[in-house]
Amino acid sequence: MLLILDILTTAAILFIVSIGLLAIFGVLKIINFAHGAWLTVGAYCAVVTAKIGLNPWLALPLAFVVGAALGGLAEHFLIRPLYRRPLDAILATWGLGIVVGQLITLAFGRDVQLTPNLLAGTVEILGVDYSAYRLVALGIALAIGTLFALTVERTRLGLSARAVIMNETLARSLGIDTGRVRLIVFMIGAGFAALAGVLLTPLTSVDPNMGVSWLIGAFMLVMVADASYRALAAACLVFGAAQVLISTFVSPILGSVAIAVLAALVLRISPKGFSRA
Amino acid sequence: MVKHLLIGTATLALAATAALGADGKPIVIGVPIGLSGANSVVAPSVVQSAELAVEEINAKGGVLGRKLALEVADDALGAAGAQKAFDSLIYQKKVDVLISMETSAARNAGLPAVTKGRVPYIYTSFYEGHSCNKNLFVDAWVPEQQVPPVVDAFKAKGARTYFLIGSDYAFGRGMLGFTKSYVEKTGGKVLGEEYLPMDGSDWTAIISKLKEAKPDALITSTAGGAPNVTLTKQLRGAGVALPFANLALDEGTAKSMGADADGVYLSASYVTGIDSPENKAFLAAMQKKFGAELRTPNDLSVPEYEAIYLYKAAVEKAGGTETAKVLETLPVVSFTGPRGTIRMSEEHHAPLTMYLGQIQTDGTVKVAGTFKDVDPGAQCPKLQ
Amino acid sequence: MLETLPATGRAAAAPGRLSRAAPFVAAAVAALALWIAPLFLDTFAVNVLTRSMIYAVLAVTVDLLWGFAGILTFGQAAFFGGGAYAAAMILSAYGATPMGIALALATAIAAPALLGLVVGWLSFYHRSTPLYASVISLVVPIVVVQLIYAGGAWTGSSSGLVGFDVLPFEIEGYFRLAALVLITVTLAAWILVRSDAGRALVALRDNEARCAYLGLNPRRLQIVLTAALAAVAGFAGFLFANASGVVAPENAGFLFGTELVIWVALGGRGTLLGPVLGTIAIDYLSANLSGDLPFLWRLLLGTAFVAIIILLPGGLADLVLRLWRAFPIGRSGHAAPAIAEREAETEPVAADTPILQVRGLAKAYGSLTVLEAIDLEIRAGELVSLVGPNGAGKTTLMRCLSDGTEPFTGSIAIAGTALAGLTPNRIVGLGVGRKFQVASVFESLSVADCLRLARASRDGLSPVGRAATLSLPQAALDVLRMTGLDHRLDQPARLLSHGQKQALELAMVVALEPRLILLDEPTAGLTKAERATIGRVLKGLTAGGRIAAVLVEHDLDFVREISSRIVVLHQGRLVLDGTVEAVVGSELVRTIYAGGAHG
Repeated sequence: MLLILDILTTAAILFIVSIGLLAIFGVLKIINFAHGAWLTVGAYCAVVTAKIGLNPWLALPLAFVVGAALGGLAEHFLIRPLYRRPLDAILATWGLGIVVGQLITLAFGRDVQLTPNLLAGTVEILGVDYSAYRLVALGIALAIGTLFALTVERTRLGLSARAVIMNETLARSLGIDTGRVRLIVFMIGAGFAALAGVLLTPLTSVDPNMGVSWLIGAFMLVMVADASYRALAAACLVFGAAQVLISTFVSPILGSVAIAVLAALVLRISPKGFSRA
Repeated sequence: MVKHLLIGTATLALAATAALGADGKPIVIGVPIGLSGANSVVAPSVVQSAELAVEEINAKGGVLGRKLALEVADDALGAAGAQKAFDSLIYQKKVDVLISMETSAARNAGLPAVTKGRVPYIYTSFYEGHSCNKNLFVDAWVPEQQVPPVVDAFKAKGARTYFLIGSDYAFGRGMLGFTKSYVEKTGGKVLGEEYLPMDGSDWTAIISKLKEAKPDALITSTAGGAPNVTLTKQLRGAGVALPFANLALDEGTAKSMGADADGVYLSASYVTGIDSPENKAFLAAMQKKFGAELRTPNDLSVPEYEAIYLYKAAVEKAGGTETAKVLETLPVVSFTGPRGTIRMSEEHHAPLTMYLGQIQTDGTVKVAGTFKDVDPGAQCPKLQ
Repeated sequence: MLETLPATGRAAAAPGRLSRAAPFVAAAVAALALWIAPLFLDTFAVNVLTRSMIYAVLAVTVDLLWGFAGILTFGQAAFFGGGAYAAAMILSAYGATPMGIALALATAIAAPALLGLVVGWLSFYHRSTPLYASVISLVVPIVVVQLIYAGGAWTGSSSGLVGFDVLPFEIEGYFRLAALVLITVTLAAWILVRSDAGRALVALRDNEARCAYLGLNPRRLQIVLTAALAAVAGFAGFLFANASGVVAPENAGFLFGTELVIWVALGGRGTLLGPVLGTIAIDYLSANLSGDLPFLWRLLLGTAFVAIIILLPGGLADLVLRLWRAFPIGRSGHAAPAIAEREAETEPVAADTPILQVRGLAKAYGSLTVLEAIDLEIRAGELVSLVGPNGAGKTTLMRCLSDGTEPFTGSIAIAGTALAGLTPNRIVGLGVGRKFQVASVFESLSVADCLRLARASRDGLSPVGRAATLSLPQAALDVLRMTGLDHRLDQPARLLSHGQKQALELAMVVALEPRLILLDEPTAGLTKAERATIGRVLKGLTAGGRIAAVLVEHDLDFVREISSRIVVLHQGRLVLDGTVEAVVGSELVRTIYAGGAHG
């Protein structure tokens, strides 16, 4: 039972962390290596919220707004010139991540920051005592997934975004302002990343480098998921389960590289990853 | 923080210029330290206590009539950065001695330069033990000194079974390896010993294993800073309420954990609550010098302070800074500081008084037990 | 009958010879300067620069992979760390005895090379993407570092290894050793990238598909390159372990891998000297500045990196080169080789075997059937036009004929050999040449180099120099002469007009001396005169009776003029197959073209 909860909540956290990266990769075909920096920015929004004495949950909207605003700037000045050079975009966003990390260091120092607990304690569920926050995270992941699905399937933006994914030239000829779609999607992706940063604060230390350790996992999951949020959910479940199972039954050290290695192998065998299914 | 460092650098520069005005060149102390790397959480407190020691000594006329000056170098990205920092201090800044806390990797990376450059190095960080070099002295604890107070205290409370969690690196493995053998030697049982890579951030599976093993007590030894905070947060989130000793915890980190650190045991050669005139004077002087910028003095910063005094004593006894002579006098001199009387007499290591502390709700440490002059054991038999 | 044609590039030959010696002179001067440098530098500078020069060796390997072959890699750090650890572990165990050193050196090179082979095999396969190779290059250092952490006493875990015996050199000795290695590696790389084989690296970066369709095996090239450069990185690791006396996990880490890329990008990818100088300058500066300005320095470096990637992708070297070229003296003419004719090598096919035989070919994408029940036989000397409205399956059929890894049912055989499962380069080996609809040439190579690569699968490429002559079969020469390309041999292909590019691609395909030549709309977008030229070439090619050609064409007038036979595809089926007169006059064709898409 504990195992199942571990798997579900691990998958939920992975999903929360990688959904912003997926949105950007799906539409812009650009790998945003500044994703880790955006997570960090979000987490520091939680620090700031606590410092000015607001309810810690208010950090969520704040982080989304800050992340989206910074994302907008980044898209305009950095990403736009690089649409035709996707490998260079990886490098430029990695550089951006370094810059953001150093700016945070300059502003807040390099220390681990104290963050308020969003939700403490455990609840008894199906006979085991389980972390209340992880269960909430599971709910939040479902909520974000649903919200994302509704946006993609039901809104004009979602329709435009899908059109851009399928055939950008065609989309443009149909009168879709693809530049605008890219900008908005990048802002949403960055906003979700920052939001994820806030949601990570109860689980991880908050320091200027915190994002990097989450970046690779999110990156590999998105590679496997290609551009589909459904595939991402599946990938999070499968690889999250692999990580938990390997950690539990073999070794946590192997478990921690499980996502990267398994995802690389899956891509080798089936270059489209999970999105085919 | 930044402001403080900049001011710090400025005062250092001033101190250096002022020192030059005195008779002869200043004695330069190199402090290679992880300002921006894994040790960034504690490093500023270490620099502060070094600054205080230098200021106090210079105010009283320096050492053999020469002023002391500090040269701080950041080791930036771990071992590779540490090499640069050590090289820069030894060959470029031509320091007379190195006194600092470092990660084991950074210390190892710097040792070849220390040997080739022929300078003494007083290492002021607790570590996994058995690092031996004729130029290296250690005035902080090793597992043989730190672990027994914890295990003995838990045993006295009736704990028989233990679970050990650590980061997969030399210190984590060294500490828990010793803990395991000590637990078994004293009749206890280790139910599980689990490690996560140093940069790992997801302890979920290990915590579930811990919960299923149902031990009487938990002992952890992670890398300092981020992994320590992450593990503690996740343990608390999962509702783990066992007697819990954290071998890698210092008071400052405990504060940044907030409520999560409540009730955690730590074992240290220094806690701020030590009731001695030397400690009170030290704390007052730190408060006076740094005011609002003060970083809580801790088990890594106080040995730095004392090591500078130990070096002063050694130079005075040797009659100069010549390395060969200082290396002869370092094991025999002693200094009575906040942690009591320190002498690095045991194979380049020091017997220390250890304190078992428990974090209180307000983040302070209550002393729950004192263990006088614990011997470091046979650390470097070949050096004698 | 090797007849040398009047060469256009001859005049440039003399300065060319001079510049051939220049790198060696420069290397000798650099070696001398670095040999005496320790006498003037303080110990700190000598120490830091030794390390910087070892890193610069790595930068050269990253530049070859990324700047020249287009493989963005973060993985060189893993090979470097692997070499360093192999050396440190063996030296710890056996000491610096001659035996121990030899073993350490051999392992430090062999182990990363083996790992490189595995990584190459994982990264490069038919239809792998450059992005995937980068993904793997990210995963490798992460795994290697984890292995080091988990290695316990063997690897020293997080503390690294220290205190092992090293080569008996003083600090200055290591400096000189590192300098010599750096100069040697850079010089070798310089010679390689300027050789004909070096052109293949650039070709790989520019247009991997074209390489495969010229019969070169891109995978093998990429894998060999990865393994070879892994070995060089391992050797650099060996040097590093000896010079620094310590190895640590981050020497193998992904962050170090990104650092290497940053140095190369700032210095100027694809220039070799840029990355070398960039690495040394940045590493030396950071050793001096990072102590005083730990985070400001990183901030500056990060900002500079982003700015360079966006605004100056060629790095600082590119800026310098541009300034240099602004002076007339800096412009060096690129000497084109003399072209010569060579005897045809196409082995004639036995008269009774058709060159192409298609039986019951069908292909579907999911539930959408694109081709169905295609039977087709083509013999030497035929010039078959494939016509039909848009979406009839013409291009798909061409793809099936040239790429056996396309999933299809039925059978396709070239001169009796079934091609199911064969990759394009192996099908080229069977004698199939394919010209794409959109001209597919190597944009950054000269016309002569493009043609040289077309011959590479038969004649090979020199890894050390540039051949002075370019021997091409008569037919390819005809194409060049007719289109005037023989006077533009030294021009980069990207400067050619649309029609010239089409002609160049045709010449390249013809230079392969194929038995069967596949052309997808060779005349699209061409002027009338250009069309006529291409038509003449094709007729001439097939007239000899040894070669067959299949072309997809919309221009029915053109088709009528040149074809010996016409095949009509409609909705994935072969509906007509006959002589020009029979097909053009048929009612069916008129219905299809009237009802279907326009020509």
